[in-house]
Order: sequence, then C-alpha cells, then structure tokens
Amino acid sequence: MIIGKAISPFGIKRRNGTANDADAQAFITASGISGTEATAINTLVVNLKSANIWTKMKALYPMVGGTATSCKFNLKNPVDSNAAYRLVFSGGGTFSANGYQPNGTNAYANTFLTPSTNLTLSNFHLSFYSRTLTVGTAIDIGGNGNLASYTHLRTAVNFVSGAGATTVVPFTTTTDARGFWLGTKRAANDRAVFRNNLKQNSSATSDSNTLDTLPLFLGAQNNAGTPVLYSSKQCAFASIGDGLTDAEALAFYNAVQTFNTTLARQV
Amino acid sequence: MKLTDITREEWTTYVGLLTVEQKDELVGQQYAPDCYFNPIETAIENQWVISVEEMANCTNEEFMWVKDLPLIIYEPKPSPPPFN
Repeated sequence: MIIGKAISPFGIKRRNGTANDADAQAFITASGISGTEATAINTLVVNLKSANIWTKMKALYPMVGGTATSCKFNLKNPVDSNAAYRLVFSGGGTFSANGYQPNGTNAYANTFLTPSTNLTLSNFHLSFYSRTLTVGTAIDIGGNGNLASYTHLRTAVNFVSGAGATTVVPFTTTTDARGFWLGTKRAANDRAVFRNNLKQNSSATSDSNTLDTLPLFLGAQNNAGTPVLYSSKQCAFASIGDGLTDAEALAFYNAVQTFNTTLARQV
Repeated sequence: MKLTDITREEWTTYVGLLTVEQKDELVGQQYAPDCYFNPIETAIENQWVISVEEMANCTNEEFMWVKDLPLIIYEPKPSPPPFN
C-alpha cells in the first residue's frame, strides 16, 4: 500500500512534513537558496514572528547563498526593486557562505532606504553582524546628509542618530569588532547600543535632530551621495527597522545568533 | 605589474589604474551579475582606479580588458571624519 503525504497549498513542504512560513518561502524562492540555508531562514522568520519583532523590520539582509544575486534580497520584502530595499553592490566585495565582505577600498551596497522618509525620527534601529575582528575607521551602515544629518552604526565604536554631539551613543571601548551590534532609538530621550546579548551603553539626552536625507549604505557611509569610510568587515546579517526595546533587542540577538549558528558562521 | 603578478594576499595593496575614458566607460556597468564597477579617485587628482577584486572577478565579456590593467599601490584620498 502506498501512503501519500498531504501537499500544503501554503508553501513548499519540508522533510518533516510542515510547510515553510510563507514569508520565508518567498525569500527562499527569490534568492534560490536551499538545504540548511533555507531551513535556517525559515526558523529565523518563525522566531522573529514569535518574538513579535518581524513587523518592526523594514529591511533584513541575511547574506546567504554566497553570491551577490542571493545576498541582495531583503528578507522582509524579497522583490528585485529599489522600493523593496534590495541591495545594489558596487566595488570589490566578496561573497561566500559566511556572508558579504566589502574590501575596505571601494565596496559598498546601496540599501535605497532613506531614514528621513522611511524611518521614524524617534523610533528606529540599525544592526550589523560582524565576523571581522579589526575595528578600523569605517562606517558599517550609514549616511551623512551634507553635515546636517547623520545616521550610522560603527561596530565597536558608536551609534549616531542625528547631527549634534548629543546624538552619539558610544559602545564600550573594545578592539574586537566581532559580534552582533545593534543601535536603537526608542524615543527622543531613549537610545541604547547592544553587542550580542548585552546592553553596552544608553543615553537619555533628548535628541530631536532630523534623520539622514540620503539612502543608507552598507559597508560605507553615504556622504552626500558619495561613498566614503569604506568598511572591510564581513557582514553575516544586517537590519534596519523600528526601535527595539531591551527585551526585543535580546530576542532579536537570540534569533540572529541561532540563524548564524545553524549556518556554522557564528562568532 | 599585472594581475597575474600578485598573490591573493596582496589584493588590498594594489588597484588597477584607469584612464579617464576607461573610468567613464565602467561607471554604471556590471562586472559580474549584480555587481557594479565603482571607479574611485586616488589621492592624486583625476587618477582613477578600480579594485583588484573587480578585475579578478570580472565575468562581463564586454569588459574583460580590465584584467590587463596596470597595477599601482593604492594611495587613498583622505576621507572626511566619521563624526565620532
């Protein structure tokens, strides 16, 4: 007797008989990944939804598949368009199973996400998972709108959410840039920076500076339209979205670390 | 010096030298699927270069000539301060 298995109309069935999450499956299809990477993406999406932080994300870059074509997609909206915040890579970056590594000379990716129009002034975050130890004088995600507005994350250095010195929240000084770095602003007077599962610093200084008016670059700073301060840190995940509470930041780290551990590229 | 004369470890030291006309030809073009050339100016005004990665990884038949560019040691233009 042949016993058939039911076919789910909602997604491609996995070996254990359950269908992938529909959002995860859309990314898997767009990026062309399979096997362990596909399983890890599905678990990541399920975990982010379970923690109620999926809806707070505007751009999620899992950096999987080992090619520019697979790494360019935004997990939150895996459509090949600027409006979907799909990355466009320029310069000499390297793609591998460990993610995207810009060369520190001329490589970066345009996210097409402009903070002043796509983020809320007092409610946003940036994150970057670095597999590279060297800190360097570089910006890992950021923009600088003619000195009038800054929005950036420098792993192991600081999170900046405006133009004035009061907007800077430094990380605890370290010479090791490896880990999952997160800068989050939850209110004009509530900003915090995290490394992995630890809050490194916070600021209650009121900041109502305007957000950057140019698209954020990954692997460099968008300096009035020109990439500068190129990073050479290998990126195994990055995100842009709404502000996260301390508890949400911890849940986010746990989900991302589980994801990278599944892919054997965690640090 | 050419691409074939250096080791993988030396890639970050060198860049491929472009003429202004070559620079203009590469702007906005892909060297591989979903990867665009990014010619940059060095510390010397109007001296344009691309990275060794772009040269080595170029698969666009139209621009295979970049693999034969002369290599020079990279002298970056000073960057603006990163604002803390």
